Amino acid sequence: MHQKACTILRLFRDNGGFVSGEYVSKELGVSRTAIWKHISSLRELGHVIEAVPSRGYRLVSSPEWFDSVELKAQLNTLRVGKRLDCLKQTTSTNSDAFRIAEDGAPEGAVVVADAQFGGKGRRGRVWSSPAGVNLYCSVVLRPSIMPNEAPQLTFLSAVAVTRAIELTTGLKPEIKWPNDVLIGGKKVAGLLNEMSAETDCINFIILGIGVNLNMSPDQFPEDLRYPATSLLLESGSKVSRTRFAATMMNELDKLYADFLEHGFGPVREEWQLRCNAKGKAVSVSDGGIEQTSGLFMGIDADGALLLRSGGGRIERIVSGDVRVI
Amino acid sequence: MDIKDLKLLIKTVTESDITEFEMDNSDEKIVIKRGHKPEYIQMGAPMMQPYAAPQFAAPTQAAPAAPAAAAPSAAAEAGDTLNSPIVGSFYRAPAPDAAPYVEVGQIVEQGQVLCIVEAMKLMNEIEAECKCKIIKICKENAQAVEFGDPLFVIQKL
Repeated sequence: MHQKACTILRLFRDNGGFVSGEYVSKELGVSRTAIWKHISSLRELGHVIEAVPSRGYRLVSSPEWFDSVELKAQLNTLRVGKRLDCLKQTTSTNSDAFRIAEDGAPEGAVVVADAQFGGKGRRGRVWSSPAGVNLYCSVVLRPSIMPNEAPQLTFLSAVAVTRAIELTTGLKPEIKWPNDVLIGGKKVAGLLNEMSAETDCINFIILGIGVNLNMSPDQFPEDLRYPATSLLLESGSKVSRTRFAATMMNELDKLYADFLEHGFGPVREEWQLRCNAKGKAVSVSDGGIEQTSGLFMGIDADGALLLRSGGGRIERIVSGDVRVI
Repeated sequence: MDIKDLKLLIKTVTESDITEFEMDNSDEKIVIKRGHKPEYIQMGAPMMQPYAAPQFAAPTQAAPAAPAAAAPSAAAEAGDTLNSPIVGSFYRAPAPDAAPYVEVGQIVEQGQVLCIVEAMKLMNEIEAECKCKIIKICKENAQAVEFGDPLFVIQKL
């Protein structure tokens, strides 16, 4: 039933205006009564569909929140989004994804929410998550790699989000080590991952992805620790949340398939090309105190930042705030 | 605390069944540990004197050497170690102002979260693999840990 409802939405979009019941029934190969049932279920999901005798159906508007039918219709993936839970509101999609993963959710399961009450940031901080404007989602992955290789996926989701921003807006975001996504030096996405692992195997990894899409200036919290922005503020036009979510999930799926087949190499190369420090000198500080500085040389297999100091020595950085100088 | 009180404290601890005593207030910290090795005393206020003059720094620097030397044998006798599965930063609590997940001496159930090791924004909650008692917490909060570093000494129950 799900798939048929997706197809109906596609037909509405492709044709615009009114679509006759006869045409839909021919395209789907089902009776007109069956179509009526699918239309009813779409209406229950919040789609407004007009029905006029002798003219057919017309999609007037789609819901403000995500619905799985709409999003699935735009997915073209092997793994990501094969199970898709779209919620109107939740505490944290990371917590939801962690719970369903513990209950055996398959690899690629995704939780998307329209709003979060307690979106997770680093060290107990909150990711501001107002309703109706942004993307908040979490992806369950079950790679057969060692736990110490898991941080590599941090770089993978940063590249996926960067690609999706480029594809949907034409903007050129940059990545600040390890995974802050910036436009013009301002943060537009927050990525926070969680892992459940044994000593020598990973049970699952949750990739948490929050992207500021259509947030307006008055929706940003006042106590931000860093300058922040949204795609709307940077591009001047609204981004379709469903299109962005689908694009990001499609890119994530491709990158992950490549990662499983070829390892960290391709992700690392693309990450290095998209990094804001590429070819530049940077300084690293911790708790506001400068620790070291040097020329950006890329990242190693652990994702550690490599810097060349004045004396030509290569330094390996595993934590700290990296600033281009 | 003056030397008379300190002597009395050591005597009291030595004569009791207590194997480890720790006292911490704003200006001094006293740790007394007992085992098969001779008792040692660590005294000082490292948090309060990061810029102490060398003549004062010398004794406080010397003191931590004793527990460091004694720790491996104590660990081997007391129980198993729980090691870090990844390189990262060790956190004892979910947030800077939150209570630690566990304290020394606490008995934890299988699956209970003991700490977080963060590597490149990947949060790894380390859980107890079985019911056990926390004998020792090997790292300071926010300290860097290497792959395989012991995080806790535990005693399986």
